[in-house]
Amino acid sequence: MIPRLRLTDIRKSFGATQALRGVRLEVQPGQVHALIGENGAGKSTLMKVLSGAHASDSGLIELDGLPFVPKNPLHSHRAGIAMIYQELNLAPHLSVEENILLAEPPHRFGWIQRSVRRDRARQALAELHAETIPLESSVQSLTIAQQQLVEIARALLGQPKVLIMDEPTSSLTRVDTENLFRVIERLKHRGVSVVYISHFLEECQRICDHYTVLRDGETVDDGPMKSANLRHIIQRMVGRDVNELYPRIPHAIGDPVLSVTGLRGVSKPSSVTFNLRRGEILGVAGLIGAGRTETLRALFGLDPVEDGSVSLNGRVSTKTNPRERLRQGVGLLSENRKEEGLLLNRSIADNLLMTRLGPLTRWGVVSHRLVRQASAEWMSAMEVRAQGPAQAIGELSGGNQQKVALGRLLYHDAQVLLLDEPTRGIDVGSKASIYRRIGQAAESGKSVIFVSSYLPELLGVCDTIAVMCRGALTTVKSASEWTEHGIIAAAIGQGDIDTDANAEPVGQVVGEAPPAGTQSNGLETN
Amino acid sequence: MNSPLFGIALSALLAGVAFAKEYTIAVIPKGTTHEFWKSIHAGAAKAEQELNSKGIKTKIFWKGPLREDDRDQQIQVVENFTSRKMSGIVLAPLDSRALVQPVKSAVQAGVPVLVIDSDLNSDKHLSFIATDNYKGGFMAGEQMVKLLGGKGNVILLRYQVGSASTEARENGFLDAIKKHPAIKLISSDQYAGATRETGYQASQNVLNRFGNQVDGIFCPCEPPTVAMAKALRDIGKAGGKVKMIGFDSGSASVLDLKNGDLQALVVQDPVKMGYLGVMTMAEHLQGKKVEKRIDTGVVLVTRENMEQPEMKELINPPLKKYLKE
Amino acid sequence: MSVVRNGTAGSETTARARRFLNAAGPFLGLLLVLLLLSLNSESREFIFTGANFKIVLIQTVIVGIGALGMTLIIVSGGIDLSVGSVVAFTSVLGARLLVADVNPALAVAGVILAGGAIGLINGAVIAGLRMMPFIVTLGMMGIIRGAAKWLSNKQTVSAPENSPVNAIMARLNPTEFLPLPAGVWIAVGLGIVMAFMMNRTVFGRHIFAIGSNEATARLCGIRVPLTKLWIYGLAGLFFGLSGLMQLSRLTQGDPSVAIGLELDIIAAVVIGGASLSGGTGSILGAMIGALIMAILRNGTNQMGWETYVQEIIIGGVIVLAVGLDKLRQSRSARV
Repeated sequence: MIPRLRLTDIRKSFGATQALRGVRLEVQPGQVHALIGENGAGKSTLMKVLSGAHASDSGLIELDGLPFVPKNPLHSHRAGIAMIYQELNLAPHLSVEENILLAEPPHRFGWIQRSVRRDRARQALAELHAETIPLESSVQSLTIAQQQLVEIARALLGQPKVLIMDEPTSSLTRVDTENLFRVIERLKHRGVSVVYISHFLEECQRICDHYTVLRDGETVDDGPMKSANLRHIIQRMVGRDVNELYPRIPHAIGDPVLSVTGLRGVSKPSSVTFNLRRGEILGVAGLIGAGRTETLRALFGLDPVEDGSVSLNGRVSTKTNPRERLRQGVGLLSENRKEEGLLLNRSIADNLLMTRLGPLTRWGVVSHRLVRQASAEWMSAMEVRAQGPAQAIGELSGGNQQKVALGRLLYHDAQVLLLDEPTRGIDVGSKASIYRRIGQAAESGKSVIFVSSYLPELLGVCDTIAVMCRGALTTVKSASEWTEHGIIAAAIGQGDIDTDANAEPVGQVVGEAPPAGTQSNGLETN
Repeated sequence: MNSPLFGIALSALLAGVAFAKEYTIAVIPKGTTHEFWKSIHAGAAKAEQELNSKGIKTKIFWKGPLREDDRDQQIQVVENFTSRKMSGIVLAPLDSRALVQPVKSAVQAGVPVLVIDSDLNSDKHLSFIATDNYKGGFMAGEQMVKLLGGKGNVILLRYQVGSASTEARENGFLDAIKKHPAIKLISSDQYAGATRETGYQASQNVLNRFGNQVDGIFCPCEPPTVAMAKALRDIGKAGGKVKMIGFDSGSASVLDLKNGDLQALVVQDPVKMGYLGVMTMAEHLQGKKVEKRIDTGVVLVTRENMEQPEMKELINPPLKKYLKE
Repeated sequence: MSVVRNGTAGSETTARARRFLNAAGPFLGLLLVLLLLSLNSESREFIFTGANFKIVLIQTVIVGIGALGMTLIIVSGGIDLSVGSVVAFTSVLGARLLVADVNPALAVAGVILAGGAIGLINGAVIAGLRMMPFIVTLGMMGIIRGAAKWLSNKQTVSAPENSPVNAIMARLNPTEFLPLPAGVWIAVGLGIVMAFMMNRTVFGRHIFAIGSNEATARLCGIRVPLTKLWIYGLAGLFFGLSGLMQLSRLTQGDPSVAIGLELDIIAAVVIGGASLSGGTGSILGAMIGALIMAILRNGTNQMGWETYVQEIIIGGVIVLAVGLDKLRQSRSARV
């Protein structure tokens, strides 16, 4: 049988970073194919290559046995490759009907034929057994699951040969997930091939016929799902030498610095209690939406605190704002570099020094000389690679941007560092550099809260690890007492029952899909 | 700041040469979009042609402010022509006060200024050439009394604050009707503003309030005249039900007069104003003495006398003859 | 435009050259305009004279001082559409105060402070209620224009003949470049102070930070609402000063003056290299932008071109200036 889609040795580099270095993938007609891999394994880059957003450097794509070179997303779409991204692509103010036929509404002499459009939209939803979605309501009034169905309906109108779904269940409830599986089942019977990208192995096992595992931009394993061993798949996914990456810098842990009791925010977190000690690196794990980011924001005064108490060095200071926290020596590294963390069109110097300009002024006037000295000093301390301190930070790679963002907290000499996904979307070299900085900070007596979705780094860097589940911080233990499996179990709320690493089933891997492919820092230079 | 110094030297070298060649006369209207100003332009062009045919080389520069009611813009135009070293400036000032300073500077810089249409609170300008606006307004008032048979309710829709010529007309009109106690002024505090659009809105507002009581309306210049006639038609009071007298002729108001929506138009002679403005300036430049005040006259045009040839020339000036448009 | 100049040589040289070009962009535009005007030999002898440059400078003062305030606002990511109305209002207020025989120094202070007060109201609504600056100042534009007409009783209010305020913008000795009226010197002096303030004080750096990314500014401990309040208030002082200059120039308070002035001012700031999305812009650039527009008006005037030609040219220059800026930025982003 001629495969519907076949990829042979696909390679793609961004600057010095090899995002894809030999991807193999073969999908049969009517097959549901799981594409499995860690954050940064190259799944997103692969999707972009298939959709025509990026051209591959080398390799062969065959569609129904014929070579296919996607030129751009429209070309790829017309050829029969449809994408459902994790972030849905809908016009929120328009109606369901308009969204389904957004690209090519039926028209005569430029006038839209509303009745025809309505019929077609209704038909498209009926095929998904989703007739209950009202055609006239605006998309923003629907649930996420309904929106996803609208997007699938739209994709199906183009009669796709291959439908690629990126983490489709990441924000769905259990019931909606079941419904989606039935939709996928129906698509399969219509002969549509589905590439199903997910972290949730259990789901893959339920609905997929075949799997392919990517690691570091390479296909490392594939086979039929039925006979696969999940533990084996996980090993293939992770399989890297952890010790090199995580330098252990010895540091002493002292008295409590930050004590949090029963912290509750507006919707999240619901209840957080922990102590952070001098020189301690406290990791916080959990699923997306568990309330980790919200906890940090509430601690930093960015989000309001509803209940509970926070005390710093023994003094209660629950209600606060970022300015006061910075004065108290608490700094936050935002999980969202681009939208919150950095002044993208300002210089490196501005970004590094903004929170503490005072020492750089003479008589209220900012001294160029002192700014130059300070930024040069911190750029070299943080190993920032750039043209100079006046370069706009938006022009740097993600890793270098993140080094500056962390450098800001260290320049500010914050004693408590709240780090939210500090290594998200950056290259391995920069990661190692940031781990070292964190270790050195602890060595010098600073305390760190390290939120991450990437378990190996938490296990490799932290002294203690806490897990959050549904808004509550439940379990705090020394890092040496945790295993990946134990963390996962705690994160999905089964920590008390199932902390044994060997217990089956190993359902899920905790983690988030990368926003734009973790290896692709070459993309982030604009 | 090298270029200004360089510029001073350059201008000193070239200034003499430029003067000997020809008279450059800037004619600065209040605006350029109304037909009244086109007539002035035609008169100025007529004078230019005549002077040139007499062997007196003359070039006119026609340039108004960007917006009709923008005093600052008109000041800029005067200033720019001053430093352009014009032989003379013929100016219709937008404001009797705001233009005093730039005119003073121009005269100081050796550029004589002649004022047309609206007066300026200054003694620096050569001559003032204009319609006797007060007389025109007074004539309109007397005609209104005649049309109403000595009694009725009257509205005066004013033009704009700070415009001396229209204020004089308004005052003339008010003085004329004051002598007749049976004529009642029911509104005289509304301003039409510079454009037909603002005039139209003001007219609608006034008529909305007084439409049922009013017997006669006077508008002191072209834009409100056209706008008010339109507003009267909208509410079905045009065609003589409400007697209306306007000021200045434009093609729209001439048509209104013909159709009977307007009962009379006080018409000035803008062509003559533009013509005399340039001619008088030329005389001054040739060293002749000029009158301090020159009246260009007003005429009352009605439906009855509008077909007479001299009236025709006035209400429908031969613009095409002088302006190549 | 940046906080630092690079000390060390090497790979920074190109970056430095690029930044120099960015900063020099508006200045090159100015030279280009002058060059084009000098091509016409007929007008050259009139345009390039000291007396004429004096006129251009005087004509730049009102837009230029307004641009000082507007630069603060635009760099912080905001906009102020009420400037024209504020200029009209404050000019009327000044005239009324002078007519009422208030001490001229007090009248001047009153005019400027009134501008500042209106700015503070704008800032308070924008920062306090988190409303869009466009909407708030659009509303304020109408409110203040109406207030100006009310205060003036719908007529122009003439300042007393020999009030010292009239002298601020008076053009003495019209055939020479010097002396320049006080208004020009005030604009230049304030321009220098503001350029320094924007680049070299903590407040100035905070303005850039807020405009670049408000969320980040908050994260960095900047009191965003308070800073915005000060930005609009300070800008309002400049708009009040513009109103004073307008009063001096017309020697009367005119409730219908400066309609659309805000757009001229915004154009000057944008020609000067600011982005309407905030975070970039410079005082020097904005001043040069104002100068470019005045020179274009002056030049097209003196060539005897029709008014509509002038409008088309200035409109084209705005689009061209911003277009070139975008082009330059996309070049540098690709490096």
